[in-house]
Amino acid sequence: MTLLLVSLFGAVGCVVRYLFEYAVRRHHPTQRPWATVAANALGSGIAGYAAYRLIGSADAQLRDVVLTGFCGGLTTFSSAFAIPAIIQREHHWGYSLTLIVTTPLLCAGFFVLGMSLAH
Amino acid sequence: MSANATLKPREFVMALSSAALGGFVGTLLRDLLIKLDDFPSATSSLVTWTHEIPWPLLIINFVGVFLATRLLRGPLRHRDPNNLSRVLVITGFFGGVTSYSGLFVDLAQIWHLSVGGSILVALGAIVSGVAGGWLGLLEWRR
Repeated sequence: MTLLLVSLFGAVGCVVRYLFEYAVRRHHPTQRPWATVAANALGSGIAGYAAYRLIGSADAQLRDVVLTGFCGGLTTFSSAFAIPAIIQREHHWGYSLTLIVTTPLLCAGFFVLGMSLAH
Repeated sequence: MSANATLKPREFVMALSSAALGGFVGTLLRDLLIKLDDFPSATSSLVTWTHEIPWPLLIINFVGVFLATRLLRGPLRHRDPNNLSRVLVITGFFGGVTSYSGLFVDLAQIWHLSVGGSILVALGAIVSGVAGGWLGLLEWRR
């Protein structure tokens, strides 16, 4: 049952990320992955909040559904590194490097912010 | 790239369904693979930070970056970001099977055991992501 719920909430997270990407592309047509960066930062922030509140709690199912499911689906590691690789291939070295360096720092910042809000 | 920025209602519903289906399967696979490594340690009182390294997630993320890069440079190269195949596979499946937030949750747990260890694992994850992307591009270099 937990596995099914985790997968369902993972699907919801992916849909929310797609909606981010769709909305950004619709209003600001661009190849640059602003929406993916935003989804990763938001997902990391929610994960920080949920991790502080839920890790160690008795409700392992809620923890798995929120952290592994929703936050796991909302964030993506594959696009966060595949898109900079492709951008680099198209000779936009500086932009690619900026994405690779700033995305983890931004996500770490949001994760800590989430934990601070939960504290 | 931005040729199909706005979708018709039916296309939009199809795209959302593709993201959901890919995300469901990807998350299911990630959860199963991570749980395979979830057996309690026999010497749990002597847990060091090296025991907490999330190897399954690091490997899943590396393979996910590698395969996503290969697909985006190969079969999905000229597909619009709203193309159903691309949404199903890249946004849904690979987005669901890999996880950025899961990595931070694991890093936070390592942080309590070793700050240096946590930074080392974080740097390793970034290097593995860059390496996955670089290896994914290799096939198409002449």
